[in-house]
Amino acid sequence: MLEGLLTAWAAVSLTFFSLRLAAGDPVASLLSQGLATPEQAKSLRHSLGLDAPLLLQYFRYLGRLIQGNLGVSLYTQRPVSEVILEQLPNTAQLAMQGLLLAILLGLILGLASAWLRNAAGRLAANLAGLSTSLPVAFLGILILWGCRNLYLWGQTTAISPNLLAPLVLGIASAGPIARVIHSGLEDSIQSPYFLAARARGIRRGPRLLWHALRPALPAAVSLLALEAAFLFSGTVVTETVFSRPGLGRLLVSAILQGDFPVAEGLVILAALLYTASHVLSDLIAMILDPRLRRAG
Amino acid sequence: MRRAWRLQLSLLWLILVVTLAILAPFVAGEDPYRPVAAPLLSIQQHPPLGTDHLGRDLWARLAFGARWSLMASALATLVTLITGTALALLSTAGGRILDHFILGASNAALAIPGLLFAMLLVAAMGPSYLTIILAVGFGAVPGFIRLSRVLFSQILEQHFVEAARALGAGPIRIAIVHLLPNAAGQLLSLATTHFAWAFMGATTLSFLGFSGDPSIPEWGAMLDAGRGYLAEAPRLSILPGLLISLTILAVHRWGEHLANRTTQG
Repeated sequence: MLEGLLTAWAAVSLTFFSLRLAAGDPVASLLSQGLATPEQAKSLRHSLGLDAPLLLQYFRYLGRLIQGNLGVSLYTQRPVSEVILEQLPNTAQLAMQGLLLAILLGLILGLASAWLRNAAGRLAANLAGLSTSLPVAFLGILILWGCRNLYLWGQTTAISPNLLAPLVLGIASAGPIARVIHSGLEDSIQSPYFLAARARGIRRGPRLLWHALRPALPAAVSLLALEAAFLFSGTVVTETVFSRPGLGRLLVSAILQGDFPVAEGLVILAALLYTASHVLSDLIAMILDPRLRRAG
Repeated sequence: MRRAWRLQLSLLWLILVVTLAILAPFVAGEDPYRPVAAPLLSIQQHPPLGTDHLGRDLWARLAFGARWSLMASALATLVTLITGTALALLSTAGGRILDHFILGASNAALAIPGLLFAMLLVAAMGPSYLTIILAVGFGAVPGFIRLSRVLFSQILEQHFVEAARALGAGPIRIAIVHLLPNAAGQLLSLATTHFAWAFMGATTLSFLGFSGDPSIPEWGAMLDAGRGYLAEAPRLSILPGLLISLTILAVHRWGEHLANRTTQG
């Protein structure tokens, strides 16, 4: 928990300093784009407190951050937190649906590839591998194109992009989950307790689900924290492909426009959520695995 | 047996792509940067692959795209390899305070999801092709430091390092004469894995429009540009997408092979 807070603080500081040191200050980008005259820039700098020494700015920034104040957008003058909160539901919905689909698909592919010793099992393993190698952008475009063709051939009615975007995100994130489930299952299938369960006459299905899958779950849960990272970058691309409004598109346009406070706020939000998901997945893994509970 | 067959296929693909990148000016036949015919001509109207939405030759753009895409990820990997190795050596050999500082900074960077960290760097430097290289390269440095740091400390524990220390070798000599050569193989295999990541990252960033100049025929940027023409000319997106995916698959397979070989000794 404390470690999580420390990491979050370090990530915030890194974000702040890398933006300020590399690019001067936010107003400089406005100046270079010819969007502000030098006099305007000077007064804007003063009103944003950017003429203060960097360290003082940093502490002010931290102080405001604790109060939930992320500054104002350079372009719309609206508070960054308001802009983010407005777009958050769209992205949260996409990410949640994508994550659920990824877990479902990952479980199915992982179980199938470890359990079925035939062509279907190999196919599942290959699909899982493929999903990690396909760029999300290409996957999205392929699915859009495929649905268009199906629609033209009269096979389906028009499919709403609201359904397709989570599907793309889910497929793209399923690979690592499937791989961890697969290797976890392989380990437990070879272990003595699995043989013991077989000797006690427990049937194949329950044996797989209870004796083999359960020990494989904690590893899969710790992976979910890494998945969260993937979901962040995945939503950026998915939202762009499907032209969905959301935090990802907000970030891309903020970077292209040089709207620093918005970009800074979004990266910090992602870092905080990512750190939180690490802490959370550790907790869940501890609940699932008694050995970790005793060690901790 | 089947594995070997796949490995050869991926090696063949990589050789093909690299050859395409090298020979691009000779095989392209047309100028990839300027319109050469009417926009959106079909394959029959303008062989071999038709023209894109601005009338530029698609085949020429794909061929030169191999150059731009491979160059971006190769340079980014080089940036990662050099900076990462140097910082990891510094943190291994440079005393405790430096070690804490470098590891602390890389842990902080690792708290920001990979692609977002690269995007943060793009935001700091402004969108351009060079930015993409640097952002992808530096973006992977924290992870690289962590992995190579483990590698170095494993070597540090071995007896010949202890012997060298007993003979009076300083930390710099140990780092350069003992750590670096002994880790070289594994560092290179790490770099191969990073190349796949860099390729994915660079094409994704330019897909998002961060390459600054839309006339650059980078595969990721082409994937994005063709997106609006899925109805009229799906090949504008599908072909660069296929090239990207096949290249990533091939590099993954090759990286796995290298990793297996280096860990087996």
